[in-house]
Amino acid sequence: MATQTESRPISTRSRATSEFVAASPRNLTPYYFLAPALIWYLLFLVYPMLSSLYISFFKWDGLSPSKTFVGLANYYRIFFEDDVARLALVNNIIWTVASLVIPTAFGLALALALNRQLRGITIFRTIFYMPGVLPLVAVGLIWSWMYNPHFGAINTVLDAVGLDFLSRGWLSDYQTAFGATFLTNVWAHVGFPMILYLAGLQGIPSDYYEAAALDGANAWQRFWYVTLPGLAETHVIVLSLAVINAFKVFDIIYTMTYGGPGRATQVLGTWMYFQSFQYYNAGYGSAIAWVMAIIVLVMAVPYIRRMSRD
Amino acid sequence: MRSVTGFTAMAAIALLGHGAQAQDIRFFTNFDANAVSNWEPVLEAYQEQNPDSNVELETVAGSGAAIYPDVLRTSMAAGDPPDVFFMWGGEIAGPFIDAGQVMDLAPYYEQYGWEETLTPWTVEAITRNGKVYGVPFNARGMGFFYRTDIFEEHGIEVPTTYEEVENVCRTLKEAGVHCATFGGKFGWHPMRLLDYFLETRCGPELHDELNRLEASWDQPCVVESYTMLKTWVDEDWLMPDFLNISPVDARMPLYLGEAAMIIEGDWFESVARGDGMTTENLDFFVPPTGHEPVRYSAFPQQWMIPAGAENPDASAEFIDFIISPEVQNEFPEPFVASATVGVTPDCEEWPLTCKWREVITSQRAIYPPTDQAFTKELMDSFFEVQAGVISGQTPPKDAAVLMQERAEEWKASKT
Repeated sequence: MATQTESRPISTRSRATSEFVAASPRNLTPYYFLAPALIWYLLFLVYPMLSSLYISFFKWDGLSPSKTFVGLANYYRIFFEDDVARLALVNNIIWTVASLVIPTAFGLALALALNRQLRGITIFRTIFYMPGVLPLVAVGLIWSWMYNPHFGAINTVLDAVGLDFLSRGWLSDYQTAFGATFLTNVWAHVGFPMILYLAGLQGIPSDYYEAAALDGANAWQRFWYVTLPGLAETHVIVLSLAVINAFKVFDIIYTMTYGGPGRATQVLGTWMYFQSFQYYNAGYGSAIAWVMAIIVLVMAVPYIRRMSRD
Repeated sequence: MRSVTGFTAMAAIALLGHGAQAQDIRFFTNFDANAVSNWEPVLEAYQEQNPDSNVELETVAGSGAAIYPDVLRTSMAAGDPPDVFFMWGGEIAGPFIDAGQVMDLAPYYEQYGWEETLTPWTVEAITRNGKVYGVPFNARGMGFFYRTDIFEEHGIEVPTTYEEVENVCRTLKEAGVHCATFGGKFGWHPMRLLDYFLETRCGPELHDELNRLEASWDQPCVVESYTMLKTWVDEDWLMPDFLNISPVDARMPLYLGEAAMIIEGDWFESVARGDGMTTENLDFFVPPTGHEPVRYSAFPQQWMIPAGAENPDASAEFIDFIISPEVQNEFPEPFVASATVGVTPDCEEWPLTCKWREVITSQRAIYPPTDQAFTKELMDSFFEVQAGVISGQTPPKDAAVLMQERAEEWKASKT
C-alpha cells in the first residue's frame, strides 16, 4: 500500500515538469492564479523576514532614522556575553524536551482511553480538547489565579486535604516557577496530540489487532507491535509540531511570570520581545529571533519532509 | 482601540455640508472606558469652540507602560504618528525624545504662557537636556495608604520617623496583621518600598546620584536599604510569597484587613471605589524619611506632539484648551490629578484625592520612582536584583555589588 501511495506523486511531478518545459503563454494560466498568493507571501512573510535579518546586523533602537552596522556582534552577544540569553536558551531546551515527552505521552494515553465506542465518549473528547481552544493568555491568567498563594485554588485545596506543608508561592519561588508554568502548558496542550493520535488510531485496521490476538499477543504486545508502528506517521507530525511549538513558547511565560522571578523563567521568545519592544534594541532582538528561527527550522525538517512526501 | 466617533462623524457631516476642510487631530491615549466617557464632554466642548476641527480619540485601553509605548512606536515607525499623545515622564519618554520623534515645545510654552499655567515641579520633571518636549497634565504623588480602622483598633498613630514605621509593623505583627501588601509580578510595586528605603538611608542627594548612575550602587547605604527590604520580608511584615502577585491582586489583603498598608498614589481613592470598596476607612501619609524637606515619590504625565505631526499648531492649540484651568474646572472629572495650577477636585466627593492635591501642589521636594529614572532595560536589572533580595537568593551586600555591575554593563552597552 505504501509503495502505491509513494509512486503517485513521482509520476505527477514528472508530468508537471514536462508541461512546464513545453509551456506556452496559454499554459501559464495556473501561475496567474498563483500570483496573488505568491505576492502576498513575498510581501508579508519573505520581505519582513529578510528585513529583520538585515536589522539583526545593526545596532538600532527601532525609532531613530539611523542605524549602526555591527556585523555579527549581536549574534556573538547572544552566545558569549548575555547571561540571560544563555539562560533563556537553556530554559527553551528544557521546555522543548519536556514538551516532547509529557504532553505527547498524556495525549497518547488519553487517545487510547478514548478510542472506543461508548455512550458520551464525544463529551470526554471535547472536555480534554477544550483547553487547547482557549487563548493562551486566558489560560495563563486563569492558572496565575489558581497558583495565587493567598487565595488561589491550589494552595486552598492542599490546605484542605492536610497537605499544607506543600503550599507555597508556586510562581514566586525560584525552584518551582518554571515547573509550575510548564504544568499549565501541559494542561493547555494535551488535547492537540490527543486528537491527532485519535485520528491515527482510527486509521489502524482492526484486522491487525484480530490477527495479533489470534497469535496470542497480550494487550501490551498489541500496543507495542501493532499500535505504535501503526502510529508511525502520526508520531512524526505530533512530535515535530510539539518541538516547533515548544521552542516558540511565549504567551504562557509572559502572562504567568513575566520572565520572573528575577529572570528565572525567561525563554528566547520573551527575551526577544523584551529586547525588541521594551529595551529598544531592535537589532539584538532581531538576532535572537533569527537564532530561534534557525533552530526551529532545523527541528522542522522531519515534519516538512514528511508533509512534502504526502 | 476605541474611537470616539459619534461627535466626530457629526462634525464631519456638518463640515461637508458647509464645504469646509476639516482639521483632524488624532488624540492618542491609554484611557480606559471610564476615562473615555469622562473625556467626551471635554472634546465636545473643544469641537463646539473649533468647528473646523475633528478630534479623534484613540486609546490602547489599560495597557500600561509595558504595551502602550510599543503601539505608539509602531505608529511612528510606520510614518503615521498621532497629532497629540499621552506619555509618562522620565525614561519612558526618553527613547522617543532621543530618537528625535517628538517636538521641542518651547515656542508653544512661550506663545501660550504654559509655565504659569502648570505646577512648577512638573515642568522641571519632564525637562530633558534642558528642553521641554511635553506638557504636564497630571501630577502624581505616592505614599502609604493605610486602614484607619486597623490603626485605631490597635492604638497606632501615624508614624513620623522611619523607626516609628518599623514600630507600627511590629505592633501589627503582634496583632496578626501584615504591615503592608505588595504585588511583585512586574517589579515596580515593591520598588516603591525600596525607593523609600534608598531615600531614607542614602538621603536625597545621593539617591538622585544613584538614579543618574553618577554614584556607585555598591556602597553602604544601598546595602542598608536592601537589608531593610530583607528585614521587612523576613519579619513577615509583608504579605508572604508576593513576588509573583500582580499589583492589582495585592490590594485584596488590604481590603480584607489582612494587611494594613500599601504604597499607592493619589489615584488610589478612585481605584478602591472602582473595586467596590468603601474609602471611609482609608487615609494616607507621606513616608517619613528623616530628611528635611521630606521628599516623596512623584511623577508627571504629559502630552507630547510628534515631530512628524501634520499640523503642530493645531495640536498645541488643542493642548492649550485641555490644560486650561477654565476648561478643567468646568469638566472636573478627567482632571482630578491635574498639573494645572488652581484646579482641585471636589473635596467632599474625593477627600483623599483632594488632600493629595494639597501635598502635590504645595510640596515641591520630590524624587522620581526608579522606573522613571532608569530605562526599562536597566530597570529590569534593578527588578532582578530586588527579586533576588526578596527571595533570599541574593544577600544584601551581594545585591549592591550586582546592581553596580548591571549598571556598568548597561552603560557599556550604550557606548
